[in-house]
Amino acid sequence: MPSLSNSPVIFVRNLTKTYRVPERESGLGASLKSMVRRSYQDVKAVQEISFSIQAGEMVGFIGPNGAGKTTTLKMLAGILYPSEGAAQVLGHIPWKRETAYLRRISIVLGNKSQMLWDIPPLDTFGVLGEIYSLPAAEYRNTLDELVDLLGMEEVLKKPVRNLSLGERMKCELVAGLLHRPAVLFLDEPTLGLDISIQRRVRDFLCQYNQRYGVTVLLTSHYMADVMALCPRVILIHHGKLLYDGRLDGLAQQLAPFKLVRLTLNHGISTTNALDLPPNAEIIEQENSHLTLRVDREAAPSAAAYLLDKLAVTDLTIEDPPIEAVMDQVYQEGNV
Amino acid sequence: MNHRGGWALIKSSWLSWMQYSSFFFILVFGWMITPLIYMLVWSGAAGTGTLGGLTSGEFIAYYLILILVNQLTYSQTNWTVGDVIRMGDLNHWLLRPMLPLYNPLANEVAGKVVTMIFVIPIASILAVVLRPELHTTWDKVVLSLLALAFAWLLRFFWGYWLALLAFWTARADALLALQDSLVFLMAGIVAPVWMLPAGFKLAASVLPFRFMVGFPVEILLGQISRQDLLIGFVYQAIWAVFAILLSAFIWRLGIQRYTAVGG
Repeated sequence: MPSLSNSPVIFVRNLTKTYRVPERESGLGASLKSMVRRSYQDVKAVQEISFSIQAGEMVGFIGPNGAGKTTTLKMLAGILYPSEGAAQVLGHIPWKRETAYLRRISIVLGNKSQMLWDIPPLDTFGVLGEIYSLPAAEYRNTLDELVDLLGMEEVLKKPVRNLSLGERMKCELVAGLLHRPAVLFLDEPTLGLDISIQRRVRDFLCQYNQRYGVTVLLTSHYMADVMALCPRVILIHHGKLLYDGRLDGLAQQLAPFKLVRLTLNHGISTTNALDLPPNAEIIEQENSHLTLRVDREAAPSAAAYLLDKLAVTDLTIEDPPIEAVMDQVYQEGNV
Repeated sequence: MNHRGGWALIKSSWLSWMQYSSFFFILVFGWMITPLIYMLVWSGAAGTGTLGGLTSGEFIAYYLILILVNQLTYSQTNWTVGDVIRMGDLNHWLLRPMLPLYNPLANEVAGKVVTMIFVIPIASILAVVLRPELHTTWDKVVLSLLALAFAWLLRFFWGYWLALLAFWTARADALLALQDSLVFLMAGIVAPVWMLPAGFKLAASVLPFRFMVGFPVEILLGQISRQDLLIGFVYQAIWAVFAILLSAFIWRLGIQRYTAVGG
């Protein structure tokens, strides 16, 4: 472990979590058999992942369902014990759950509410203020600021069960930030929210990070969240770390192709007549606009070929959309 | 220790539960029914004479006090601890900067207040209508209250360690149902312990269940010798300490197996 003075805020080394899951065949016979003798399967949810995160960073932790994202977050928040490996967050070993550590972190789980269902959010916030021993003035100021940033004054006095999903998620964010954590773990904070609430939550997180320098590790299946908030992403799949770096470098590293978009000075009646570079694949065509897929290395020569052979008025070379790249990685399971 | 947070949890439990006060009143009424039936059976059987050393009026006093003791020591919280573990809601207990035990304790304290709002008036009305006979002294009252405090401690932690087995088995609450059955048989509900058949009586005198309910009632009614009183307190304390240590041990092992499902 590095010393505290120069250590990153989050430091993870060979972190591994293996679940022992009971399994049986379907049917009554198998059910009776399992009562006498249960069989188990070891499921490696997280396999020897290592990374570190500096103070104030917002990092997207991405991967398909079952990749091990939430399990990792739970280990770092101290909820789960790892099977192997080590981690330090703010100089603490998370699963020791020291009070000093728990006062400085927060985890917001998109589908596990910490709000008390039958009473208004204000009451839950009050309880959390007491649990974190916040001075009354500090509690009031923080609450006012968060409520203002999220624009949720009108929901404070309604029972939580009567709130919409978006309103409840805003409440979860307030509940998670009342004690001003230095590290925030966000697990699917925009899950199931409509587009405008998603944007509002993203804007809020961005502002909050800029204002207080909170370190954020975010999981989301919405790439819009990751693109809006996280310059850096960590990609895991089947519990293994596949990529750790800048978001804009992800497509370069993972997608073996580029998109060439061109506009011709005339409409296209049939693509058969067009003289295209070898191995270029048409993936979209509309009036005089054409989108081709070409090998990454061949993109410059393909562009030159097109400019030479066709009456081009506009041409751009782009990385494919991040969603397409992610889909490819998720399906193929490797980089 | 985070008493400020613990007190806040108690208040929040009250706030939540008062939304469903009628549900709790019905639940508590259900818990009162069994002792009420046995009160009517034994007071009727005593008739105008005595049975097991008690008159009809003394049986009524015995069971009315037993109803109060049973409600005060019954740990409804532990029925939810297994679900908290199984459904992943333990996450919130673990994330807060306070001992996780504060959560069930706060629930327990809040529950006692909500249920007593119902139980005390009902027991008082029954006392006016059925005219119990109670001959006791202040020293018995004090000793009985002490035994009551230990009875709650023992019953809560006994149920808590059983509930914590949910870290290993999906339906640990079946063990709580077994505990309730043993309390029913051996803690003075089906009949005062001194009236049980010899084998049951011997088992009840050493197992923890009598010390969860019947023991404080026996002290208040003066149905226990000075020597048995002392031995009873020793047994009660030993079982309470055992239950607390076992709870701590099981928590320590179990939390490392916790899978935090959901979310």
